[in-house]
Order: sequence, then structure tokens, then C-alpha cells
Amino acid sequence: MTEQFTPVVWMLLSAALLTAGMMAVAIFLGPRKMNPVKAEPYECGIKTEDPPLNMRHPIRFYVVAILFIIFDVEIVFLYPWAVVFRQLSLVAFISIAIFIGVLMAGLYYAVKKGVLEWR
Amino acid sequence: MDLLHLLNQGLFWFFVVMTVVSAIVVVFSQRVIYSAFALLFTFFGVAALYLFLAADFLAASQVLIYVGGILTLIIFGVFLTAKIYTMDIPQQTHQRYLALLPVVAMLGLLTYGLFTADWKTVTPAAEPTTKDLGQLLLTTYLVPFEVASVLLLAALIGAVRLARPMQEEDRD
Amino acid sequence: MDLSRFNLITIATPLVLGAGVLLVMLVDLLSGRANRRPAQLAALAVVLAAAAVCLATWNTGGVSFFGQVSGDGFASFFNLIFLAVAFLVILAGPAYLERNAIHFGEYYSLVLVSVMGMAFMAAGTNLLVIFLGLETMSLALYVLAGFNPARQSSNEASLKYLLLGSFATGFLVFGIALVYGQIGSTDLARFSAYLAGAGDPFAGYMGAGVALLLIGLTFKMAVVPFHFWSPDVYDGAPTVVSAFMSAAPKAAAFAAALRIFYAPAESLGLPWERILWILAALTMTVGNLSALNQASIKRMLAYSSVAHAGYLLLGILAGNELGAAGILFYLASYVFMNVGAFTVAWMVNRRGEGRYDLGDFAQLGFRRPLLAAMMSVFMLGLIGIPPLAGFFGKLYVFTAAVQAGYVWLVVIAVLNSAVSVFYYLRVMVIMYMRENEALKDVDRIPATFAAVAACALMVILLGLIPGSVLDVARAAVASMP
Repeated sequence: MTEQFTPVVWMLLSAALLTAGMMAVAIFLGPRKMNPVKAEPYECGIKTEDPPLNMRHPIRFYVVAILFIIFDVEIVFLYPWAVVFRQLSLVAFISIAIFIGVLMAGLYYAVKKGVLEWR
Repeated sequence: MDLLHLLNQGLFWFFVVMTVVSAIVVVFSQRVIYSAFALLFTFFGVAALYLFLAADFLAASQVLIYVGGILTLIIFGVFLTAKIYTMDIPQQTHQRYLALLPVVAMLGLLTYGLFTADWKTVTPAAEPTTKDLGQLLLTTYLVPFEVASVLLLAALIGAVRLARPMQEEDRD
Repeated sequence: MDLSRFNLITIATPLVLGAGVLLVMLVDLLSGRANRRPAQLAALAVVLAAAAVCLATWNTGGVSFFGQVSGDGFASFFNLIFLAVAFLVILAGPAYLERNAIHFGEYYSLVLVSVMGMAFMAAGTNLLVIFLGLETMSLALYVLAGFNPARQSSNEASLKYLLLGSFATGFLVFGIALVYGQIGSTDLARFSAYLAGAGDPFAGYMGAGVALLLIGLTFKMAVVPFHFWSPDVYDGAPTVVSAFMSAAPKAAAFAAALRIFYAPAESLGLPWERILWILAALTMTVGNLSALNQASIKRMLAYSSVAHAGYLLLGILAGNELGAAGILFYLASYVFMNVGAFTVAWMVNRRGEGRYDLGDFAQLGFRRPLLAAMMSVFMLGLIGIPPLAGFFGKLYVFTAAVQAGYVWLVVIAVLNSAVSVFYYLRVMVIMYMRENEALKDVDRIPATFAAVAACALMVILLGLIPGSVLDVARAAVASMP
């Protein structure tokens, strides 16, 4: 086992413990008075409607989700490139430009096809 | 120094246990939402284990893609499904005994590998691996890198196609 | 930096296709909502350009991009097969798509994207490239299978293919990971070198790795324990897409299998031979026996394509040059027979999509003699009747298997071919002998008819000059690094 990145892991652990600790404090110390309003998704005064069982959500949510994942993956690819891009050649720059260009073309296509319009 | 080493060992096992236990919860939980949240801990634990292997880029992409992306989508999917708390989602296993056959075969092959493999010990890199990966990605692995962009484009075109309901087509 | 390492000629064909995808998308955007003709023409132009580039760069590429791809004759040969299939389904497609009100521009871009993926499967000399090519191809196919969202069976086909397909891809990736774990590389040259040098080729994780690679690829070929998706998917998918799916991806899967396993086949030894022997025998038999009793022409053709995957496996099992070249020839003829048969199937289908009955062919021999004659060519070709291309494909592959000593397997294959005569001939019997069922006339669609005619012509032509095509195939196999 290497111990090179253990500080990062310790940081992860302390972040997790801090969150868990704050939740625990809230659970154990906070007063608990249940009433029906508190069980509603939005406590802002507007009465929540029970959605019908067969309610279907607009498919645009799906497009947004797919776009999110696609560009999430793109970012992962860009991350190692960003670390070394100063040392890389022109070929590498052109390559990354093609990579981003292809995805941008896809995004342009999606926008022009109107799948992101929220009518 | 020794104490630190011991602490690190403890930390390692903490993440091992966390990953395995939460993975078990994912599989056996009767409610999708619990599975989804347990998956968060599994993914996170795996990311931490990558760090122990000095695979910093892998850990970062694990957090970015799985925790930040796929898991968020799963949880959104769960939220957007009506009555997910009360819905009785059938979780049964069909053809239990037939499935045993490939499972045992696979387990056998992997166990065989475990005992016969020529395990290599790699000295961990002195620097974070991301730099080397960046170099490799744009030289040796340039072709797969560019094909990956077309793969993502295919996903995008497919999503655009599937997301347009029929009746909205060709009207105007 | 040394620019000679980036030899674009090696990937010229997929490069043209990739640029073509963007072009087709742009044309589709610019040409207004109801007009798909420009997108179709652009796609046809792209395919022709890619074919021209493919012919111009035939076997000139060599290994490049740090050993990731090889633009050899093998890749060129397969590229030409894929492009021919793409050309035919793009030419024939609009009539079908219009009829079902699903004529969208994405049809063309997705077909081109998937052909580009296939091109990388055929050219890849690294497992990563092959995997990414396969995934690009599959992703487009998943969407194409569900191209008719109004029809439930199309959605079912898409979902089934996606779930099972991604599972199979998972196996493939796992296999690649295990191979990497064993030899520390995904390079195919290293893979063959390791296997040639290893005392026990299956020591460590190699056994599991090779098994998983095989599962991932045989799924795409629809080889028997992994074929369950194919009848449902071919049946449910829009028929133009079925024509495409039953031809090109199967060829691509065999291309990848040859790339990976042709060189190290000998060093894999007895366990490998036994597994392939069983797979081939099972695939032929199950495919043919299931095809016997199908009422739907699409399901019949699906099971027939399973059976053909079994015959083709003989070439891989044989592991000699004739076997590999035989596979190339076989696939080159098989894709035309299959695309032709599926296209005729939807041309004569007058009961509405989703209801494909063999009875549709009744009286076709008298009402549309030319169409019926071409369908007969496809059926006879699929049986393997002598002057047609299908015969020579089988002949080469079976001969290779006999040379390699698999006499019993060839006996099984020949018996299976005899069984297949029954269901292929039944289509002809219905066309020429069954009484009219008072069905309305088959539409006359010039472009689609031209595509079918081209298929029939190729089946006959390849049967007339099998020797010279086989020589090209042999050279293609020999050019693999």
C-alpha cells in the first residue's frame, strides 16, 4: 500500500465525519415535533398536490441528463490534458480541438433540433 | 511514523469495509432509494481505494463520473419516479439454479487466475499519474481518444432522436 | 514531434465517415423539417467518398498511431463490405421510413456513425480501439433498433438489445482488463507474442480474459448461447434496420475476432478448439432447427443469420489462411444476400409493420417476377447452391475446416445446410405455387428496387469470379501485421 495520497484520504474521511457528525447532532439534539405540514415536500405554504400514479415527466429531463453525463465524461478527458497542455505539441492541440469540436457540433445539433426547448 | 502507518492501515480497512458493506446494502435493500444512497458510499469508497493505489486520476474520475454524474442521475431518476416509496418493485431472482452454472464457471476461472497469476509489484510513481496520462492520451492513445469523442457524439444524436416525440415532428 | 507517427492514411476511411457524420448532421439541420432528401443524398455521397478513399488507400496504411491501428488490406476489405451495406440501406431506406412515418435525419447520421465504429473494429490492432469501435457501433444500433417509438415491438427490441448488449460489452471490457493484467498491455501484437511464448497459455488471468473476450464478440455475432436477443431484436426493429444489423455488425464482429484471434489461434491450443467446436456445432444446429418453424420471415431470417454465424465460426476454428480468407469471402457474399432478403421482405409486406407473414410472398412469382427471381437468388444463395456466391463462401470455409482436421464438424455443417434447404425453399414454394390470398399489389419503389437488384447482382457476380475475390481476401489476410 502506498502512502503517498493518504493525506487526501484523511481529508475525505474528515469531511465525511464532519457531515455525519453534523447530521448526528441535528438528529440527537434537535427538537422533534412532527406535524403533517412538515411531511410535505415543500414547506413554503403552497399546498402540494399528490401526483397521479401514472404521471410522466417531460422527456427533456432525459436529454438534460444525457447531456450532463456526456460533458461530464468530456471534462474527465480534459483534466489530464489541462495538466500537461503546455508541454504538448501542436498535434495534441489540434487533437483536443477536434475532440471538443465534435462534441460542440453535437450540442449545436441538439439545440437546433429543439430538444432543449422548454415549451 | 509507525503510529501513522498503523493509522493509515486502519483507514484503508475502514474504506474496505465501507465499500463492501454499502455494496451489500445496494444489492439487498428492498427500496430503490436506499440502494441509490448506499451506492454513493460504494462509489466513494472505491475512489478512496484508488487513492491508496496511488491512482489519483482514476480516483478523480471516479468521483467526477460516478459520484458526480451517474449517481446524481440515478437519484434524480428515483425522485422523478412517482410513488417510489410506496411502489412495490418486484425484486426476485428467476432461474436461480441455471444462473449458478455461469457464476460457478466464472468464479472458478477467476480463482484459478488468483492462484496462478504472476503478480507484479509496481513501484508507485513519484509524481501524480495525471501528467503521464495526459501525455499518453494525446500521443499513444490518440486514436481511442478521438473515437471516444465520436462515441459521445453517437450518444448525443441518439438522445436527440429518442427525445423527440413523434407528434412534434414535421409539423412546422 | 515526429509527424510520421500520425499517418492519417491508416484511418482515412473512418476519418471520411466521421467528417461525413458532421456533414450529414449539418445538412439535416439546414434542409428544413420535412425534407430529408438532402440528408440522404449527403449520406450517399459520404459513403461513396469513403469507398473511393478506401479503394485509393487499399493496403497502403500499415501500422500507425503508436500501434493502435493498421490500415492494411484486411481493414480495407472489411471497410468496403461495411460501406456497401451502408450504401444499400441508405438507398433503400427512405421508402420504408416514409411508409412508417419515421423518416428522420438521424437515420443517416446513425448509420454512418455505426459504420465508422465498425471501421475501427476492423482496423484496430489494440484492444482499446476495437472496444471503442464496437461501442460506437452498438450505441448507434441501439437507437436505430428503437427508431419507431410508436411501435411497441421496436421499443422492446431497442431495450432488449441495449440491456443485453451493454452486458456483453461489460464482459468484453472485463476480458480486456484481465488480459491487460496478465501481459501489461492491450496491444494485439504483444497479446500474440505472449501467447506464443507462454508455456501454459491460460495461466493466470489469461484463461478468464480470453473467455470473456470471446463472449463479448460472440454476442455480437449471435452465436448460440448468446443469441437469444437476435430474433426479438431483428423482428422488432424497423426492417431496414434489421437488414443493416443482420449484415454489417456481424461482419464487424468477425473482423474483430480475426484481428484478435487469428494470429494466436494456434498457441491457444486444445481448450480453445474444443470451445469453438462446441459453439459452432450448437450455433448451426440451434439456428437451423429454430428457423424451420417460423411463420414470420423476419424471425426466420434472424435464426438463419444465427446459423450462418455457426458456419462462419468454422473458419475461425480452422485457423488457417483459407479459413480466414473464406470468412472474408463468405461475409462479402452473405451481407448482400441478407440485406436483399430483408429488403424484399418489407417491400412485399402488405399487412402493416409488425406482421410479417410468409404468406405475403404468395403469388409474388407471377405478379412481380423480377422481384421474386431476386428473392430466389437470395434464398438459393443462403442455401449455398453452386453457381451463387453463397456456395463458394461455404465451400472455402468448410474446406479450410477439413484441412485443419475438423471432418466431423464439417459433416454437421453439411447436414445443417441440408436442413436449411427446407425453410429457404419454402419461401420460393410460396412465391411460385401458393394461391393468391387477395393481397394488394406490392408498391413499385425504384430506389429500393435498385438496391435489391444490386444485391442480387453482387450475389451472382461474386459467384462468377470467386477465385479472384478469394485472392483479394487472401492478400487481405496476409497483410495483417
